[in-house]
Amino acid sequence: MITPLPIDAPVVTAPAAPGQPARSYWQQATGRLRRNRIGVASGLVLLFFVLVALTSPVLAAIFTHTDPRSIDLLNTFLPPLSPHHILGTDDLGRDELTRMFYGAQVSMGIGFLSVGVALTIGAAVGLVAGYYGGLIDGLLMRFVDIILAVPAIFLFILMSILFKPNTITLALIIASVGWGSIARLVRGEVLSVRTRDFMVATSSLGASDLRLILRHLLPNVLHVLIVFGSLYLGSVVLIEAALDFLGLGISPATPSWGNMLTNSETFFFHSSWLVIWPGLTIFITVLAANLFGNAIRDAFDPRLR
Amino acid sequence: MLAKYLLRRVLATIPVVIGVTLITFMLMHVTAGSYIPGIDLNPNLKVEDVEAIKKYLGLDRPLYIQYITWLAGITHGDFGRSMIDGSLVSSHIFDRLPATLELTVTAILIGVLISIPLGITGALRRGSKIDHALTAMSVAGFAIPAFWLGLLLILVFSVQFEAWGLPFLPSGGVTTPGTGGGDLFDRLVHLIMPATVLSFVYLSIWSRFTRSSMLEVLSQDYVRTARAKGMSERRVIYLHALRNAVIPLVTLVGLELPALVSGALVVEVVFSWPGIGKLLYERALSTDYTTVLGITTFAALLVVGGNLLADVLYAFLDPRIRYT
Amino acid sequence: MAAPLLELHDLKTQFFTPEGVVKAVDGVSLELHAGETLGIVGESGSGKSVTALSVMRLQRPGKIVSGEVRFKGRDLTKLSEIEMREIRGQEIAMIFQDPMTSLNPVFRTGWQVGEPVRLHQGWDKTRAMGVAVSMLNKVGIPAPEKRAHDYPHQFSGGMRQRAMIAMGLTTTPKVLIADEPTTALDVTIQAQILDLLRQVNREFGTATILITHNLGVVAGMCERVMVMYAGRIVESGPTVDVFAHPKHPYTWSLLRSIPRLDEERHEALKPIEGLPPDLINLPPGCAFHPRCTFKIERCSRDVPALTRVGDTQLAACWVTQSGVEL
Repeated sequence: MITPLPIDAPVVTAPAAPGQPARSYWQQATGRLRRNRIGVASGLVLLFFVLVALTSPVLAAIFTHTDPRSIDLLNTFLPPLSPHHILGTDDLGRDELTRMFYGAQVSMGIGFLSVGVALTIGAAVGLVAGYYGGLIDGLLMRFVDIILAVPAIFLFILMSILFKPNTITLALIIASVGWGSIARLVRGEVLSVRTRDFMVATSSLGASDLRLILRHLLPNVLHVLIVFGSLYLGSVVLIEAALDFLGLGISPATPSWGNMLTNSETFFFHSSWLVIWPGLTIFITVLAANLFGNAIRDAFDPRLR
Repeated sequence: MLAKYLLRRVLATIPVVIGVTLITFMLMHVTAGSYIPGIDLNPNLKVEDVEAIKKYLGLDRPLYIQYITWLAGITHGDFGRSMIDGSLVSSHIFDRLPATLELTVTAILIGVLISIPLGITGALRRGSKIDHALTAMSVAGFAIPAFWLGLLLILVFSVQFEAWGLPFLPSGGVTTPGTGGGDLFDRLVHLIMPATVLSFVYLSIWSRFTRSSMLEVLSQDYVRTARAKGMSERRVIYLHALRNAVIPLVTLVGLELPALVSGALVVEVVFSWPGIGKLLYERALSTDYTTVLGITTFAALLVVGGNLLADVLYAFLDPRIRYT
Repeated sequence: MAAPLLELHDLKTQFFTPEGVVKAVDGVSLELHAGETLGIVGESGSGKSVTALSVMRLQRPGKIVSGEVRFKGRDLTKLSEIEMREIRGQEIAMIFQDPMTSLNPVFRTGWQVGEPVRLHQGWDKTRAMGVAVSMLNKVGIPAPEKRAHDYPHQFSGGMRQRAMIAMGLTTTPKVLIADEPTTALDVTIQAQILDLLRQVNREFGTATILITHNLGVVAGMCERVMVMYAGRIVESGPTVDVFAHPKHPYTWSLLRSIPRLDEERHEALKPIEGLPPDLINLPPGCAFHPRCTFKIERCSRDVPALTRVGDTQLAACWVTQSGVEL
């Protein structure tokens, strides 16, 4: 927040550097983002996890020489730093590190897919509702109200027992609630942008509705979408992990950070490390997503700091 | 006027109620429409008997009549029957509701009682090490998976403490089995870990929010006026500023009221807490669709009601809305 | 002449910002006697508000780096915070520019108006409300018993400002500082508020400092006026004299720049050339010299001191001090 100065204290602004071309809004934002060390660091962490997800089989081949499903009942609950098993093994003798690599696929895959779908649908609904207003707006927003009234986790559990989800359907299930908040957010932005002069001017030039929405409204709400998207990524990873933990997410045969913790109370007496690794990675991923989202928000609107 | 504002809000919730009940009804019909509870128990039932039972239960009537019956039932507190044993969903709900409320209300109280001082401290000592530490904790707290935090706490305070011979916390349940209800201390000891886990997320968000709300208020002109009147800084902060700063916080807390029933599901499962969330989870595992849907409907209606209540609270606290 | 009620001796208040040190108040001295009305005139950034806030020791985050503020003989800059609180709101009261934002929206108006007497004189709620109601009545708010229970947002702008004035007076302070009390109000309401301030000054004998950028407001209300520029006083004296024959080029330019009804219509407006100075990097010598039409060589070298020019006025200008008429 701005320190309160008395009314007639002068506002000091840095003079523009002579001879430099004016930088576009996006250039300025990316510049600010690049200078934000925490933002860059968290972005890199996210990138790291994405890469792990994309290359898990390769990583497993290089580092652990095993796959996530091979059971070895003679070597259950090996502690970390055992030979061939840097992070130890689980209750069925499966290598923990390999399972962590593959777990990234589930979290990142569902995370990004869910965010993508929710952002697209949410933005579309929000843009249309905000632009047209009136009855369309009323109907769409009532629908959003209804979706948001049902507790999300109940809905996810319900859909999970109905559909027995795989990666893609699970992402869609999660997105089916998420788009609602996004739609409301976008609609709010649209309402504030829509009355501005440039919209009226462009419309009076004869631009079609679709053109107005896509070429003029959308770019102005884009920054809201990007910030929310990053923060929402964190939420999705948490929700998805919780569902896996409950055994109602991805099928337990596929390793995911969440289902590696299912029924882990039994691990307490054998190897507490098994409780720590998967949760820690979830925590780091979500933390990175949140910090990155904050950094983007600060980059686009430093005044909000 | 307050009355008009409230009336508008109530009217706005009616379509949502209809929408929610309609959706749950349709889902119920799709999943268990002609399923008769308990039918599998007696394979000797003849077809005519089954038809008779169907007729008795009203399952042969047109859909819209069934919907209206469903709706009417809800207004009487009837949320359907279990697919497994025909028991009333509502009786299950009211059995388990107190446990959930005990947990969630405690968590919200902890959240509010701790967030406000943390937020004030962050605002007053803005930019200091304490402020940075509090912000860091907030950001971290928001990223921790609740179930993981619960597991870790159990690991440390139940399992390890016992192993180390220290007094340890119980790992689950509302009371110690066999003590027949337990005394207050026993209940508290069981409550403390799950309530802490649940309040963690609230703490993270609300303390940061109180901080920024407080900073915003402290930069307002009326705070300067208050100081000019010659009152102590304590009075400025805790009477004039805080009273304004908590208004937005009330809205935030109010947003959590609807989640009072559903928000604790994961924590209930981790700590074997016999609440509504755990009930839904158990029933989901046995594909008892009707119970799941009945509980969901109940929870959704609470959400709608809770939102309304939050609006009322806000209007009551902010005189600008009350007296317009 | 009796000793002044309030005296400032070479007061300096500065703000330490990342861009540099802002010398908001750069050596201000003034005297205020009991019952007097003094106007402080200047543009935004001239330091007039910060001067007033410094008197009240409300200048944070700025710092009073040197100088004295003597009230009834005591140096306010040396008092402890607890001692200062007894002065604030009780001996010296201050009212602010925007009544919309200066009153707390969540407390009833009567409660706020009565707060100073509850704080300083220990009165209970009922007695304080009684005083509040009678003061609201005095400042011209109709149906005060009812209105006292209303919230600030239920009042119009003018009424709110009256309530603020009432709030400042309940403890019958010796000095009332009004910082741009009419700037946020409609012109017609402005006149009413100024009338009220005059009436208050007459009835209660409260010395009043009126801070404004509007010369017309000063003309209608203040016996004496001080003109500030870049944190310094450039001219002071009886309002009538200063307006009739200003002794500083800045005052002179200000007066000239006001459009007059009796001017020839084809005359162009006469604004003051240039921009207000950067308070971090003041120009050498007289702060006004870059914009001055009378400047001589000395003006860009030496800072002029405030000295007597003419019978009743003080001015800080090398040109007028050497006898030149503007």
